[in-house]
Amino acid sequence: MSLSNHERGSEVKSSGRFNFSGLALFAALLLLWEFSSRFTPAIQPYFPPASRVIHSLFQPSLARELFGHLLDTLGRFLGGYFLAAAMAVSLGIILGYFRFAYSLLEVVIELLRPMPSVAIIPVAILLLGIGNSMMVAVTVYACAWPILINTIDGVRNIDRTLIDTGRTFGLGRWKILRRIALPAAAPYIVTGLRISLSIALILVTTSEMVVGGSGLGFFILDEERSLHTSNMYAGIVVVALLGYALNRLFIAVETKAMAWHRGLTARGML
Amino acid sequence: MTWSRESKLNGFLVLLSVMAAWELVSRTEMLNPLFFPPMSKILRSFFSLVFSGEILAQILSSMRRAAAGYLLAALVCIPLGIIMGLFNSVYRALEVVIETARPLPPPVVVPVAMLFFGLGDGMKVFVIFFSCLWPILLNTMDGVRNIDRVLIHTARTFGLSQGRAILKVILPAASPQIMTGLRISLAITLILVVISEMVGSSDGIGYFILDSQRRLKVDQMYAGMLSLALLGYLLNQLFLLFSNTFLSWHRGMLRSDK
Amino acid sequence: MSILDVEGLSKSYRQAGGESTLAIENISFQVNEGEFVSLVGPSGCGKTTLLMCMAGLIAPSAGRVVVKAAEVDGPPRNLVLVFQEYNKSLFAWRTVLGNVLFGLEVKGKPAREAEEKASYLIGLVGLDGFERHYPWELSGGMQQRVAIARALAYEPEVLLMDEPFGSVDAMTRLELEDGLLRLWKELGTTILFVTHDIEEAIYLSDRIYVLGRRPSRVIQAVEVRLGRPRNQLTTRADASFMELRNEIYKQTAPRLSSGW
Ligand SMILES: Nc1ncnc2c1ncn2[C@@H]1O[C@H](COP(=O)(O)OP(=O)(O)OP(=O)(O)O)[C@@H](O)[C@H]1O
Ligand SMILES: [Mg+2]
Repeated sequence: MSLSNHERGSEVKSSGRFNFSGLALFAALLLLWEFSSRFTPAIQPYFPPASRVIHSLFQPSLARELFGHLLDTLGRFLGGYFLAAAMAVSLGIILGYFRFAYSLLEVVIELLRPMPSVAIIPVAILLLGIGNSMMVAVTVYACAWPILINTIDGVRNIDRTLIDTGRTFGLGRWKILRRIALPAAAPYIVTGLRISLSIALILVTTSEMVVGGSGLGFFILDEERSLHTSNMYAGIVVVALLGYALNRLFIAVETKAMAWHRGLTARGML
Repeated sequence: MTWSRESKLNGFLVLLSVMAAWELVSRTEMLNPLFFPPMSKILRSFFSLVFSGEILAQILSSMRRAAAGYLLAALVCIPLGIIMGLFNSVYRALEVVIETARPLPPPVVVPVAMLFFGLGDGMKVFVIFFSCLWPILLNTMDGVRNIDRVLIHTARTFGLSQGRAILKVILPAASPQIMTGLRISLAITLILVVISEMVGSSDGIGYFILDSQRRLKVDQMYAGMLSLALLGYLLNQLFLLFSNTFLSWHRGMLRSDK
Repeated sequence: MSILDVEGLSKSYRQAGGESTLAIENISFQVNEGEFVSLVGPSGCGKTTLLMCMAGLIAPSAGRVVVKAAEVDGPPRNLVLVFQEYNKSLFAWRTVLGNVLFGLEVKGKPAREAEEKASYLIGLVGLDGFERHYPWELSGGMQQRVAIARALAYEPEVLLMDEPFGSVDAMTRLELEDGLLRLWKELGTTILFVTHDIEEAIYLSDRIYVLGRRPSRVIQAVEVRLGRPRNQLTTRADASFMELRNEIYKQTAPRLSSGW
């Protein structure tokens, strides 16, 4: 199932003030973790003390290994995400603008859309084996949905007068798509891109778990199976940091890009 | 009835042609029939799986897990979200923990859950629960925060206690946004039940699809995907039905604003 | 017998910048049981602030409010406020009937009895036939009447009304004024009515308190000795009506009366 524009979640706005109670609770939980594990050796195999996880995070050999997996995951993520963005935005603009094109694909879209996208993984394994191309392919497939649906929505919601303005300036169809439809639908497209960000990470880590070999998803599952649990938790910390960093990066780029978009539409309309 | 250029019929024609083409390239072995079994075979396999009850059994075990995790998340997050929306100090206290856990892609929770719960239902329920937390929690909180102060004052001037005000005023006023959270989580639930069954399970629809692929019963794999798509569609429609009856006032209000 | 005592009430709001705005300063007045009293004052003088303090929804900075010999700290049970922003105060998820039933549900009235009472009040405010409509399907004036019916159904001993007719056209307004007087007489409620329409205040009230500009105080108390029942044509044409009006105008807008 993909999410359309109306279903975007709420974004938490951090107040930026120093949050004493928040940090205190966080620290308390860390301490609780540390000591509950330390004083009950029976659970240590599943639940090693926090200090041990942090310690293993800074082991040079493990850090190097983790870094390698991180690069693999990141490469698949970037490949899948950007391919999906390029394809879905182009297709979405065409389908949003030309009703006829949409009518052709409507039934296929409505048939495939409700299927949870991870179910495509077995097909991809069958067709592409268990290499990078398969992982990138499933990521592209899954990420494309929110971007596609939102782009179609965005183009459909463009004010007719904006397009007519383009016409009166003698712009051809393709120029209208590029110069008017694309920037005018940008806010919707950005929503799709934001949703796809977390979906991409879900698909990359899942396919790494299912087919194995390399990547953070594989690493975490593998360490769990061999009961190196402090390594597993270290891997999870790295994934969380990756997710966090990608999110911040997205917000930073979005802020910049939407300023650019405002400038462009202003010029386009004059 | 007149045929318009943009008729929905086009879509069905395209779908039929794709299916026919699929049948053709498979029968003539232009594409490897091992990977692309004839469409007729896939459909036959689908119907036999449906009528033998096998697929239903798989879907049922998936749905049991999905429902447990999803409802558990709703049961925890709606009250907690309301409290966080009403009392900023509670939100502030939980903020760091939430913002630390939220960027974690849910699939990596699967191995942790496997450690604690083994490969049973508990593991899947936990994973689904974890991944559904955020949309419900944050949307509920937002919904409560956005309630107009006049509405809260109205509840108070009629002498409602805080508890009754939550039930009679705050919950209904925030319900459209709570529903948004529930809807996002429904999609996530379906994704995570499939993932957790692929990574660690011996039944369920996710397991069935991956297992069919591994045993090269490719027609069954496609049939499984088809039933998953139907399930997704059905659940979505069910949810829409539920939220449309429940929130008919809200839809009407939005329409009357235009 | 005074049912409502306001004693030396002040309220200042703390602004985001750290400064504070003094909205009302040292206001005192009384309302007797069963009276219809109006507060008039220019926009922004602190009328809403005053009512919110009286309804126990915000705490005053100084002074106190006494309702039926009990000091207000928190919303009093026997008092209801009808908000100026009536459209935000109605429950969008309840029908007209559901909204009017609200107060009765809170009181735990049996369903049958509550429904009869609600229908009766909906009829009194002239909304029969709209029971099953949602608030957002009604005009502003109709919404306001729902809010009034909802408050009256609760049967408060004191009803505070904050510019309830502020957003309706002149014709409807006259009808609503007469409707309100009928209800007041029928139910015996004590009403404190806020408006900035001086003629409306005279037409409705037994007594009027005139507030000055912010930070406002009571600058005048005017007894209205017009007979009841009142009539939109004859009462408003009455010589003493004109006299009262001129007197209040002189107080509130001296430049206007000096022919500026
Ligand atoms: N929540 C608040 N925070 C800060 N200042 C406020 C607040 N509410 C009101 N004020 C200020 O207090 C003063 C009085 O406001 P109030 O709403 O009580 O006036 P009013 O007499 O009801 O006006 P109107 O006739 O326009 O409704 C105004 O100057 C306003 O700016
Ligand atoms: Mg006011």
